[in-house]
Amino acid sequence: MKLTELFGKKEFVITSEVGPVKGCCRNGHSLPAFVREAQSLKKFVYAVNVTDNQGAVMRLGSLAAAVMLKQNGIEPIYQLTCRDRNRLALQSDLLSACSLGIDNVLLLTGDHLNLGDHPSAKGVFDLDSVQLLSLARDLNRGYDMMGHELTQPADLTLGAVVNPNFQPLDLQLLKMEKKIAQGAQFFQTQAVYDPKVFETFVRRTEGFGVPIQWGVVLIKSPKMARYMNERLAGITVPEAIIREMESTTPEGWRDQAVAITARLLKEMGPMAQGVHFMPLGWSDLIPSILERFPGR
Amino acid sequence: MIATTKKPYTEVLEALAGYRRLGLVGCDGCAKVCLTGGSDEVAAMAQDLKAQGKDIVFEATPERTCNVAKANPVLEPLKEKIKEADALLVLGCGGAVQITRLLTEEYGLTLPVKTGLNSVGHMDTVIPGKVALEQCQECGDCVLNDTGGICPVTKCAKGLLNGPCGGSENGKCEAAPDRDCAWILIFHRLTALGEVDRLRQFVAAKDHRKAAKPRTLYIQEGRVA
Repeated sequence: MKLTELFGKKEFVITSEVGPVKGCCRNGHSLPAFVREAQSLKKFVYAVNVTDNQGAVMRLGSLAAAVMLKQNGIEPIYQLTCRDRNRLALQSDLLSACSLGIDNVLLLTGDHLNLGDHPSAKGVFDLDSVQLLSLARDLNRGYDMMGHELTQPADLTLGAVVNPNFQPLDLQLLKMEKKIAQGAQFFQTQAVYDPKVFETFVRRTEGFGVPIQWGVVLIKSPKMARYMNERLAGITVPEAIIREMESTTPEGWRDQAVAITARLLKEMGPMAQGVHFMPLGWSDLIPSILERFPGR
Repeated sequence: MIATTKKPYTEVLEALAGYRRLGLVGCDGCAKVCLTGGSDEVAAMAQDLKAQGKDIVFEATPERTCNVAKANPVLEPLKEKIKEADALLVLGCGGAVQITRLLTEEYGLTLPVKTGLNSVGHMDTVIPGKVALEQCQECGDCVLNDTGGICPVTKCAKGLLNGPCGGSENGKCEAAPDRDCAWILIFHRLTALGEVDRLRQFVAAKDHRKAAKPRTLYIQEGRVA
């Protein structure tokens, strides 16, 4: 199922995200944790992103993991980054994804290797995310990026990312417009915790004509929020939210995460065409968060 | 210039193990600027190696060891000295080492040519004697005309051509938070110049053939192949 169909029907598109395991998934007696996590959300979300060596940490490939979700009845959004592949590999992986039944892809630059567990690796970055969108659109039209005809075109819905926290915003929007011009059909945002920031962003992008999902990372502890502010690129958790987490004991953090995320969803959800949760393992909280969202 | 740093002394000694008589070749070009291989550093290295029991049969520091026109007039008169040496140690960039090796081959001599330095990039001196910056990757297809004279291929950690990634915070790079995001610098520069619309253009993927190693420059024709 293509996400564009849902956006076309004016659905409020709810998606979540899982990270593949760091290891093989062969001959397992039970389903890997990320598949079970995604399965638990089946009734609550339309699709689940599968991250691609997220944070430059080496894991099971996002294509294999996305296919495993599909086999288990969950609609995957296959993430593909420019960090680890040159243009041949990117095109080939997109054709593979389409051939294996993937409908939705999210095309990104990729976190820098310095952030991950193989900092001595050579970053590829043969293409950037705008060029990647462009070639994916070419594949959908039946050609590779050099103009050679394909035996069968790809048929993929092309997603992209944007960071509303970015300063100067004008520069981020210039890039967003380029992504749209090269074929981006929907956007998921970086986590935004400040409704004013999101409102400004939405006002500036209203005329762009592409659906946008507000992105949110579940805050699991005050320490994690501080870590995100200090170490995670492009995310700012306001001090007030950190204090809310600090105001309760560790036993209360899950409830607090639900309360905070539900409140933010109420504030920012109506400004967007959907929400994208990044639960970092706390997927079981998503039903409670959505329960409190009447706009659904 | 080609920037260089000194290899750890133990690594140099390891490379020279088994060779007692040594010729030292420095470079009074880039390596002098980097304080790694000018005549002063060659003299200091000679002292150190003597203390290790090595015989230094000659010291030479051409003005540009990477250029045969500068290196040959210095090294050719030393041919007999080079013959006496068990090995040469070059305090210069990788180019200086290979030009020295090439010249010894042209002199009909077969001896090991070792290096005492690591080459760390094409760099530009911004604070003499203190700081040099990498600003150009020699990609063979310069984009500076469209980027306000700031190179994203080099100064963006991901070499992005169509604008910044989402990872910058407070104007700094996600890969090295003490470094400015190149795309924010480009944006401010083009804004100041009234040319920010240049950033609206889609920049197609680079033709990496223009940077395919090893390149040869035919100087008369201005041709690279």
